[in-house]
Amino acid sequence: MKGTLKLGIALALFAVGACAGLAVVYSITKPQIEAQDQLALEASLRDLFPQGEDFEDISATISSANAGVNISSAFLAKRGGAPLGLAVKAAGPSYGGQAVLLVGVELNRSIAGVRILELNDTAGLGANAKNPGYYVDKANKVTFPGQFAGKFVTDPFVVKSDVVAITASTITSNSLTTIVKAAADAGVLWLENSALAPSADQGSAASYGGSAASESAPETTGGK
Amino acid sequence: MKSLWKTFKQGIIYENPLLMLMIGLCSALAVTSSVANGLGMGLAMTFVLLFSEIVISLFRKVIPNSVRIPIFIIIIAAFTTMVDLVMKAYFPDLSKSMGVFIPLIVVNCIIMGRVEAFASKQKLMPAIFDSLGMGLGYTWVMIAISAVRELLGNGSLAGIPVMPASYQPILFFILPPGGFLVFGLFISFNIWLKGRMEKTAKERA
Repeated sequence: MKGTLKLGIALALFAVGACAGLAVVYSITKPQIEAQDQLALEASLRDLFPQGEDFEDISATISSANAGVNISSAFLAKRGGAPLGLAVKAAGPSYGGQAVLLVGVELNRSIAGVRILELNDTAGLGANAKNPGYYVDKANKVTFPGQFAGKFVTDPFVVKSDVVAITASTITSNSLTTIVKAAADAGVLWLENSALAPSADQGSAASYGGSAASESAPETTGGK
Repeated sequence: MKSLWKTFKQGIIYENPLLMLMIGLCSALAVTSSVANGLGMGLAMTFVLLFSEIVISLFRKVIPNSVRIPIFIIIIAAFTTMVDLVMKAYFPDLSKSMGVFIPLIVVNCIIMGRVEAFASKQKLMPAIFDSLGMGLGYTWVMIAISAVRELLGNGSLAGIPVMPASYQPILFFILPPGGFLVFGLFISFNIWLKGRMEKTAKERA
């Protein structure tokens, strides 16, 4: 009994020492890690909405309808107080683990652009999604995330039909498309709830079928 | 001093952790698809190995024998987490591309193996030289394998395209089977090298 206690104390002492060391390193690196994340996010936001002057954090009021896709944050891009569009940061499973995308949604329910923030898929295959020199449409130099720009959320978003897949990377192509679609849906729903997007039966009604839009919640402001 | 040098040299060729002891292969095969990854993993591994061996060698007399493995794991895990945090803070791109394999250094057999077989029984200086030798042995093999795989499988070296534009990358080398093939070739090369070195050593004697 006494021996066991001694062993336990030895183990505990080493654990305490290790924790102390970790605490020091953690407190030094934490602000740096947050700054890096913030920097990367801001660069992507400006990249999606070059005219955007300030970005309002609306993360608390947006949620994903797709259980597999998690929306970690969202920002409303504004210029001189007028909203330009929404940037939704969404994470979902892909071939090599979690993939994090930033999806820009315009007020007219089209996608402003897609940026890949994090993707750990196979180099040379799935990782081509974030390779700026890999084109799914060689003639027009369109990259895999680039092809989403200008698509409307009511488009089918089906790989190999309206979305061009990455060669030999069906899983990556499918997962990323699912994340883009879920993020865009959530973004449009938020815009509709905040009455920022024109409702389904006016404005650019001709450009989309209106199936997704017509099921949307009543046009109330989503408590900001 | 001579025996320290010998300990150091052991890890690079004669007892190379990857090519001769053949431990810690899982992460080695997984991250060697690009030179930057291979180098980053090699350095992270060397750092954790060095500090774990130092600490364990220093405390070897007060670590009770029956709970030594949990204590080793605590120490290794602490250093691994530090590397992970530092990489996230100062090398975010590298950290992203290594993904889960940095935290997995905790359970890497090379560190556990060296700590158990060497550091827990040796004085500080031999432990330092052993960890440096093993770390360097690991790192050079990682760089060499990833260089071959990246060159053939992606047409680039350390991210810089070196092959002519007409070169169609052989994807096979980036994929796991290619990793096994390149790895096997390196093992046979190392065994041949070791044989030759032993022969010349004998002739000299």
